Amino acid sequence: MIDHLCDQSSERDIAVVGLYCDFLSQHEQSTTNMLGVILKQFVNVGGVSEHVKQAFETARKGFGGRCLRLPDMLELVKTTVASWPQVFICIDALDEALPKHMLDLLRSLHGIVQGSPNTRIFLTGRAIVLQEIKEIFFTRAVIVPISPTKEDIKKFLVRQLGSDTEPDAMDDSLRADILRVIPERISEMQVGKSCVFPIKSGPLTNYVA
Amino acid sequence: MACNSLRSIDITDNINSFNSFSTNIVNITTGIDDEKRQILEWLSPLEPNQRHHSVRNERIDGVGNWFLETDEFRKWGGASDGDGDGDGYVPQVLFCYGDPGVGKTYLRYDKNLLLGNE
Repeated sequence: MIDHLCDQSSERDIAVVGLYCDFLSQHEQSTTNMLGVILKQFVNVGGVSEHVKQAFETARKGFGGRCLRLPDMLELVKTTVASWPQVFICIDALDEALPKHMLDLLRSLHGIVQGSPNTRIFLTGRAIVLQEIKEIFFTRAVIVPISPTKEDIKKFLVRQLGSDTEPDAMDDSLRADILRVIPERISEMQVGKSCVFPIKSGPLTNYVA
Repeated sequence: MACNSLRSIDITDNINSFNSFSTNIVNITTGIDDEKRQILEWLSPLEPNQRHHSVRNERIDGVGNWFLETDEFRKWGGASDGDGDGDGYVPQVLFCYGDPGVGKTYLRYDKNLLLGNE
């Protein structure tokens, strides 16, 4: 998503920023740090704006060089976002953030979109955060369930088969079986709401009867 | 004004912020001004570029294209009344949910659907 938005932004004055939430970085990914990395991307591309510079100078004069508090960071992000004609903020795997940080982030994002009508936010996560999204964004949000189609699964399998490290173990018949059986099986599993699309490499033959 | 500061830069620098992030990080270590480096460090210790490059490399072209044709996506991508049905409703937030591994992270965006560019 980020790449295509970035490709498009070359034609117009559009900022595309984003972050990936990660279980392994939960404590480092505080709400302030997450908003900070969004702002960091604006600074990295657009240079240091006056309001950011001013906040930095003020913080530096404080005891030990103070970090920003969440409300201050949010204000900086809001001001920056509002200065762009269009902004896309992409945040992946919301459910991997600590619940408190995730809630604070969603509330912060709500504040950002309220003040910037041309800002769009793209979020992904597991269904466990659905209720929070609905409660915080209400009618500002649309929600789409994601599951791979048979065609998606076939494309994935073709690539996996193409990078098989033991091609001698494969023949046309087995290959055809894999491409026929696995998409069917996974589709059946989806109906039962228990599908896990095998994104990572693995022994494809495990999925074939 | 912050606004003027950001808009005054060349449009080619305005863009691809996420993709250029790692390039700029390299620049930071090889000589961009010290104050900017300090400010970047002060803003956040997080560096999402590595994860992004990993996602780019793992992505499979064409997977998830069905998503681009959903009404929800089209409305979200619209500048004003995205689907042209006259109701004026444009959602600002699009949330895609699903089990781990279904491909949420790898969804792609069609260039012709961006903010009313249909």
